[in-house]
Amino acid sequence: MNDVSHIIQFLFSGITTGSIYALIAVSLVIVYKASQLICFAQGEFFVFGALSMITLTSKGLPMPIAFFAAVFISVCIGSLIQQVLIKPIQGSSVGNLIVMTIAISLALRGLALIIWGRESYILNPYTKGEPLFVFGASLQIQVLWIVGITILVLLIIWYFFEKTSLGIAMRACAENPLGASLMGISVQKSALFAWAWGAGIGALAGAVVAPLLFIQYTSGVMPMIKGFIAMSIGGLGSIAGSVMAGFLLGLVESYTIGLISSKFSDTIVFALLMLVLIFRPNGLFSKS
Amino acid sequence: MRKLAVFILIAFFAISIFPAGSYAQAQKVYKIGGIFSLTGYLSWLGEYKKKAAELKVELINKAGGINGIPLQLISYDDTSSPEQASKVAQRLISKDNVVAMAGTASVPISGAVASMANRYKIPTIINSGYAVDTAKDPFLFNTSHKTDFAVVTAFRYFQKKGITKLALLMPIGPLGELGSNVARKYAQEYKITIVGEEKFDVKAPDVTSQLAKIRTMNPQAVFSFTTGEPAALIARNMEQLNLKVPFLVSHGNANPGFLKLVANINTEILVPSGKVMKPDALSDNDPTKKKILEFNKSHMEKYKEPANYFSAELADAIDLIVEGLKITKSADPVKLRDAIEGIKNYPAMQGVYTFTAKDHHGTKPDDMILLTIKQGKWEIPK
Repeated sequence: MNDVSHIIQFLFSGITTGSIYALIAVSLVIVYKASQLICFAQGEFFVFGALSMITLTSKGLPMPIAFFAAVFISVCIGSLIQQVLIKPIQGSSVGNLIVMTIAISLALRGLALIIWGRESYILNPYTKGEPLFVFGASLQIQVLWIVGITILVLLIIWYFFEKTSLGIAMRACAENPLGASLMGISVQKSALFAWAWGAGIGALAGAVVAPLLFIQYTSGVMPMIKGFIAMSIGGLGSIAGSVMAGFLLGLVESYTIGLISSKFSDTIVFALLMLVLIFRPNGLFSKS
Repeated sequence: MRKLAVFILIAFFAISIFPAGSYAQAQKVYKIGGIFSLTGYLSWLGEYKKKAAELKVELINKAGGINGIPLQLISYDDTSSPEQASKVAQRLISKDNVVAMAGTASVPISGAVASMANRYKIPTIINSGYAVDTAKDPFLFNTSHKTDFAVVTAFRYFQKKGITKLALLMPIGPLGELGSNVARKYAQEYKITIVGEEKFDVKAPDVTSQLAKIRTMNPQAVFSFTTGEPAALIARNMEQLNLKVPFLVSHGNANPGFLKLVANINTEILVPSGKVMKPDALSDNDPTKKKILEFNKSHMEKYKEPANYFSAELADAIDLIVEGLKITKSADPVKLRDAIEGIKNYPAMQGVYTFTAKDHHGTKPDDMILLTIKQGKWEIPK
């Protein structure tokens, strides 16, 4: 293995972890974009997506059906949570809402423990086969699935928020709820859609990333933290920014481990976060 | 109907407020505290330990208790956190008045419980990689084999196979430091060169960057002192990178949960273990065989699965406390500590225990075996 294959291997490792961070960051941004709220339960939707898919495929359901069913289950849970737990306190302070999302996160984790127990589960890759080797560096085929699905999801989100009246209405609700409601837009409906979207994308992230990991009921904690950091680096409300930040985070971690030392990977990530918060508080990729 | 419902409710509350112990309180009972990781990232192994402790207590009570006095196990969840472990240890000591404690699942958790055990002078039998220093921890015993024994067991195999170049991939934290220190301590004796060391975060979703770096060092084997998912992840990433060398992991992986995790991975994994994992490979004159077979049978009957490394650690912990109680015939924790320390040549599942004032582990390297996995089953590597 020569130096070039090294550098490429670090690139592939970075893309692998970065894709996980990016998808979670997107699901966080969706909820934030539509309701100005950071949902700390996104990690749990990730776990529900992954474990639902694993359970459904183990029951003999074909992969594509299990995939959509797993996402749909979380969409339903997200909608239900918004209606029953978030809607009644919608008008209260941001602090209250955040505490509520933390409580929801813990409750969902407990629910996952009851349903799936403590053991770790494995999901087979979507397509079988040896990893791809490029200049001596290996890349798992599942990573191509993750990157492909991430791009597809981004296109759908972009189209929804930019081109459909419902998406534009949701953005309006987030920017100026009073103004939007005066224009006849239902703020409640918009918030419901945001939660459904957020939960769905969180679950999608779990379902597509599961073959790379070993999933148990606590597996949502790490993606949630790193997704949140990616979201902060990319700019709280920017979908494209947080995706880029997710991949950047993965690459920074990977190259730090490969070229400097594995001891410093977290230190450098947090230093990057601090620098962005000080010098580019609106996000690394924001225009202002 | 309404009266019946009220009666059931009152009965339910009465049972939950006055647990089984209060009946036993009327007579004499020996209370043992159990500290298990039942939630959090170590919960997959905490459950094995709790089940084994409960079974062992049940078997001892069925056989008439200790000189006619029954045992009672009071257990709590440490949520895989040292802080919580410290709190529940305090509760067991000051509120539940236990005579001894058993359990804990990791080096930091054992450390937290050790300070409580020493401060309040309660004999405690832990089961983790924590190395008991009797000068510092006089009330602590450990039924988990010393990390040194696990490393020596594997290094003997490496020597036999002519493996001389070893790379370390250690988790960030005390466990990784322990593994690294012990590997370096014995490397020279077994003519092994440590060609390099990398670190990784146990929560990382990918370690191919570290493994790519390790590959350039041309090791003949990789050693990571880690347990469960991270160990399985490394094995999977090694296969992905075509790094076809044996992969040595910690003895905490000798359990069916790990076997399931690595079922589809082709990396050659080496797991040091207690003899409990391979009773059929033991000779009939092995002093541990009888206890292993007996406990395994009861474990199969109650839980429909054989006992594993973690079950054996806890079964032995309870056994040693019981042996101590039989000797002292009193519930005085200080006398009990002395009695346990006095145990010599006591065959149990993890080995033949001989404690001394300087050794509170009691077992020796020959009490361990090395395992590998072939077609989803534990095998002895040739």
